[in-house]
Amino acid sequence: MSAGDWRDRGRSALERLVRASAFERVLISTAALVLSMFVGVLIILAAGRMTTCTTAATTFFGVGFCYDPFAIYDSLFLGALGDPINPLFKPLQGEFAAPFRRGWTPLNSQMAVTLRETTILIFTGLGVAIAFRAGIFNIGMQGQLVVGALATALTVLWTSSLVSGLVGTLVLIPFGLAVGALAGGLFGAIPGALKAYADANEVITTIMLNFVATSVALFLVANPFKDPESPANETVGLPDFATIPSVLYEPRDNFSIIALGIALALVGASYYLLEHTSFGYDIRTSGIQPEAAEYGGVDAARTIVSSMTLSGAIGGVGGAMYVLMILGNYQTGVPSYGFDGITVSILAGNNPLGVGFAALLFGVLKSGSIIVDVSTDVPPQLVGVLRGLIILFVAMPEFFRMIGAKFVIESDEGQAVATDGGVVEDNGGGSDE
Amino acid sequence: MSNATLERTSDLSTRRLAGIAALVAAAVFVLWGLVAPASTPGRILRVMFTKSALSATLRLSVPIAFAALGGIFAEKSGVINIGLEGLLIISAFTGVYATDVTGDIWLGLLIGVVSSVLLAALFAVVCIEFRADQIIAGLAVWLIALGLAPFASQVIYGGPNTASVETFNTITIPGLAGIPFFGALFDASPMVYLMFVATVASWYTLNRTSFGRWVIASGENPKALDTAGVDVTRVRYAAVLISGLLAGIGGAALSLSLGQFVGNGQTMVNGKGFIAIVAYLFGNYNPVGALLSTFLFAGLDALQLRLQAAAIIAVPQSLVRTIPYVAVIVVLALFGKTRLPEAAGEHYESGEDR
Repeated sequence: MSAGDWRDRGRSALERLVRASAFERVLISTAALVLSMFVGVLIILAAGRMTTCTTAATTFFGVGFCYDPFAIYDSLFLGALGDPINPLFKPLQGEFAAPFRRGWTPLNSQMAVTLRETTILIFTGLGVAIAFRAGIFNIGMQGQLVVGALATALTVLWTSSLVSGLVGTLVLIPFGLAVGALAGGLFGAIPGALKAYADANEVITTIMLNFVATSVALFLVANPFKDPESPANETVGLPDFATIPSVLYEPRDNFSIIALGIALALVGASYYLLEHTSFGYDIRTSGIQPEAAEYGGVDAARTIVSSMTLSGAIGGVGGAMYVLMILGNYQTGVPSYGFDGITVSILAGNNPLGVGFAALLFGVLKSGSIIVDVSTDVPPQLVGVLRGLIILFVAMPEFFRMIGAKFVIESDEGQAVATDGGVVEDNGGGSDE
Repeated sequence: MSNATLERTSDLSTRRLAGIAALVAAAVFVLWGLVAPASTPGRILRVMFTKSALSATLRLSVPIAFAALGGIFAEKSGVINIGLEGLLIISAFTGVYATDVTGDIWLGLLIGVVSSVLLAALFAVVCIEFRADQIIAGLAVWLIALGLAPFASQVIYGGPNTASVETFNTITIPGLAGIPFFGALFDASPMVYLMFVATVASWYTLNRTSFGRWVIASGENPKALDTAGVDVTRVRYAAVLISGLLAGIGGAALSLSLGQFVGNGQTMVNGKGFIAIVAYLFGNYNPVGALLSTFLFAGLDALQLRLQAAAIIAVPQSLVRTIPYVAVIVVLALFGKTRLPEAAGEHYESGEDR
């Protein structure tokens, strides 16, 4: 039997395995979401008891609460879409009217916020997912995003004096994205090389590099590259032609459907890369069975470095998008897109296609938290708590399996899923140490 | 086998060489400063060896050192606790809130510690009972606390920062406190003294008691421990709860030394839990080593503020803050692996119930 034959066999066995557990993964992610939302309800109720109000917003079991969890979730989820539901549309009470509120359009500005957050999260989520599939935990996504964003903001600013107009846009945007990819990729390659050649644990090095990136960026933006006319720590703003033009949405919404299109194309490309190319095959086998992969001729060190570089490059493009689409310059205090990217990836079971959906969910949560802040008394940090809970529950598939086993008697145990996209071995080994 | 020994000796000699180089550099620096007091090293030395610099170092060390000691227990037992930052945050908030409600700072400290132990217990259940990936669960602990503490502060105090409460009184030992420089050791908050006590107690527990041996065995070779008739799961639970206890003291001490919880951005904890991880890796899982590396990092921070104030060297704070992080990366790169306990990160299933 030839080596290629073995390889094909291995591949089909692997694919069967992934497909068999995909359904279970979706179930676990959904269950984790539902459970997080439920714990969120309890937290909102508890918070409502701890604060004081003149009239109770809602009453359960004869006890009044200051916050109504359902109203909060209504603002959170529907508010993020710009309140699409017609108030007269109550199918549960038998009142049927047009389901959408009159005057609602999917092009509203809150929707733009939701989609622009989704766009950035797709990049960071994909970056984390690719590293994860190679068995590497890239907690450094935030740093890679920051480095990509700063590099893009500076280089595009310097080169924007050379060109202008439509030509400027056509040249500078791809150039800016490429710079972001390069900078983020190089920054991601550092922990990759340290892991591959010095056996340094990537969890430690990436956490450390996050702090290094943020602090050095703060120094650069507060000193040599500071906009002298601004009181804040930020770089000089880019000219309009050097930012991604808005299509369909208002320019003030800072969202471009083109950017979302690029993000979605990258989702497809990552899926194709992982599932249908030999490099993707190397990544996946290294993630599931590093020893076997090496035995099968995969250069482990090279796979680690290249997958971390790719992961960082995608995060860097996310940072470039953040600068070119949302900010128009670099400012300190970059939102935690990188850490949210980890949540997105874990929720998606590290599947690129799942990343699209998970990113949309987190885009909704981030955008909805603004509505919660404005229209209710509940602190918007609630979304931060929900994010932590979602990760916690997704991290414990065993919990749901135990609950599931109580209700369903399964004849076949099926293959257990690990949160890192691999498969649980007998000793449950999740981490690769 | 012989290969491994060889590698170990060569590793040791690189380590030793680096240590000697660092010592020589420090000696040259000190000599230069002593010979020429007007030179930059001389002025730095004068700022460095002041009582206020040492007492600032000790104050800044408290949360990091406690979290690091906690991290050692958890990781030695085989559970990597990356959620130390979260434990610090939750106890920092609860400590202030409980002090505010009860009016007693020691009761506040106790309740703060309890909140951290509870969160650590949740982490332990998730990791040990439900076999969650320890890194991801630790991350979740951090993110939950990072959301929950400012959330609760907003609900209770109407803003991310809490009201101000009383702080710990310093305990001054008469006579000894008057000694130049070292007097800071005898004129400090009770938490500073407790930090020294906790370090010694941790070292003793890990190295001289049978519980300590169980913790180490549960991280290195859980199967052997199981065979010897000790319940690995219980040892790991105990170790993680101890990490919650110690980190809880650190977090509550941090906020109660300021008398307020600050919940903006990364909160007042601001990465101290992660520095703690660096500190115990640097100290090679030895409590005393972890304390010394904590002093090193906290001392750098304290020194930097003073150098800036005295306008000797204007190293920007943002760059000085990166030194511990860069240092740990360099050390990891040069000396390779900090050797994690053999079974760290792995779930252990006792053979009996399978």
